[in-house]
Amino acid sequence: MTSALIGASEVARPASPEGRRPRRFRRSTPRNTLTRGAGLGLGIAMIWFSLLVLIPLSAVIAAAGSGGWDRYFSVLRNDQTWAAVTLTVGQAGIVTLVNIVIGTVIAWVLVRDQFWGKRLLDVIIDVPFALPTIVAGLVLLSLYGPNSPLGIHWAFTENAVALALAFVTLPFVVRTVQPVLEELEADVEEAAASLGASRGTILRRIILPSLAPAIAAGAALSFARAISEYGSLVLLSGNRPFETEVVSVRVLTFIENGNNGSAAALASVMLFVALVVIVALDIVQRRVARRG
Amino acid sequence: MSIEVTNVTKKFGDFVALDDVSVSLPTGQLTALLGPSGGGKSTLLRIIAGLDSADSGTINIEGTDATRLPAQKRGVGFVFQHYAVFKHMTVAKNVAFGLEIRKRPKDEVKRRVEELLELVHLSQFSHRLPSQLSGGQRQRMALARALAVEPKVLLLDEPFGALDAKVRKELRDWLRRLHDEVHVTTVFVTHDQEEALEVADEIVVINEGRVEQIGTPDQLYDEPANDFVMGFLGEVTQLGDVRLRPHDIEVAVTPGLAGAIEGTATRVLRVGFEVRVTVATSGGDVTVVLTRTHARQLELVEGTKVWLTAASGATTVPAMVAV
Repeated sequence: MTSALIGASEVARPASPEGRRPRRFRRSTPRNTLTRGAGLGLGIAMIWFSLLVLIPLSAVIAAAGSGGWDRYFSVLRNDQTWAAVTLTVGQAGIVTLVNIVIGTVIAWVLVRDQFWGKRLLDVIIDVPFALPTIVAGLVLLSLYGPNSPLGIHWAFTENAVALALAFVTLPFVVRTVQPVLEELEADVEEAAASLGASRGTILRRIILPSLAPAIAAGAALSFARAISEYGSLVLLSGNRPFETEVVSVRVLTFIENGNNGSAAALASVMLFVALVVIVALDIVQRRVARRG
Repeated sequence: MSIEVTNVTKKFGDFVALDDVSVSLPTGQLTALLGPSGGGKSTLLRIIAGLDSADSGTINIEGTDATRLPAQKRGVGFVFQHYAVFKHMTVAKNVAFGLEIRKRPKDEVKRRVEELLELVHLSQFSHRLPSQLSGGQRQRMALARALAVEPKVLLLDEPFGALDAKVRKELRDWLRRLHDEVHVTTVFVTHDQEEALEVADEIVVINEGRVEQIGTPDQLYDEPANDFVMGFLGEVTQLGDVRLRPHDIEVAVTPGLAGAIEGTATRVLRVGFEVRVTVATSGGDVTVVLTRTHARQLELVEGTKVWLTAASGATTVPAMVAV
């Protein structure tokens, strides 16, 4: 594989004008191929990214690290905190898995099927994302709260957490998969069919590998959003310690009690969890995409 | 007969793509479906492959009624204009796909893939991804992939349509040679009459959902059934009340032959070895093609008075009314 790639790039490379001295571009160190404009763009991007993300994030990690490993252990050893972490990561994981399936199905329906109200549905998909999260909580409370017309009383239970997370993360997988599905050429599936592949085989070996990167990207977004959710849970889950209290609420409690060090430690733990999940999703995605 | 298409009609809404078409395509031959874009030839090919279904009529492939069979069960290899490669698979995996889903033994698949890549001259590219191949190479890969499952018939939909002129010509010659080697019944769709005349054993001319004529390239060129076929297979001009090829007109600079039509050369254009002359006659402009040498002998320049007659043995059809 690698050797084939190298071979290809060598074939593709146009004959270089040996006589002229290469100016901006030297083959021995092809790391910096930036033009002046691109350099400026990268500079602006990095400054912006640093001011918004990198520096504040480093500050949090520094704050958390100032207490040493002991701080981490004491924070995580606290039963209430540990319950919040497992609840958040567990429910976010479940919701992400649900999104992978349901989101892909919704995207499929929106792209491949023709039905009345399709355009409307296509617009409404974004509503959970667009609503202020506290309103999202309110919306769910009206149907699944104490006065539920369906008789489903999920408010202030673990189910409420999953429900709220599922609600706010619904659009992610749909919106990442949809454009990729639209770009898939119908003749590729027809080619597979004429070679004798059944509908299931085409889905498994042709369509799914093409969608895997998009599904993984949507799942990563969905998971990241789920572990950081706060607003929609405030009303719906009741923030009951050991039962429905999530990490973001726990962090707020630490801060309100003036325990900024513990808040930072817990925040950096969640940061690590998010990184692990995103990397894991990428690995799975590469496996699936290459499975064909 | 390998493929029997009987009374096939297909409509897309109000548009009639195929209007009661019946064709028999013989076994082992290379047949071209030729016609202008939107004439229904691709639709016919897709119906034969089972990728579209006919509104009415039947399809019979190698003695089996295939009208209701899904594409998977027809034993048909299909090659698409835009290659339809499986982007995430290597060239070898692409070719192996049909065999793998048939659960053939691994070593058999490997051997067969090697054979096929050899056949389409892609052996050294087996580990590349399709995106690393040129258009012509991708199409050869698609052909190997279709041939891998040993189809009863091979169908190609404008196979060289997306390639540049030079590669198209190479692949055309190569397809002809490949067919002489493999002998699988092959049908290809094209709107390029040169391609059809050069490659095919037999040509089916399709226009506006109907079959205009079926015949060998020579038959079609020499004995066109109607004005459309004549016009589609080459340049046509009208002399008096017949239509004929511009190179089948005799030019004289003195009156003499009986029935000669008198005119004046209004435009003399040299293109390579030939000279294209536009002659204004009482019946309208006539295009005449001469060789450079011939035009020089006649000392033909703009403004020269000429007398035109149809050459003996010229292919002519009566002119359509009110053109």
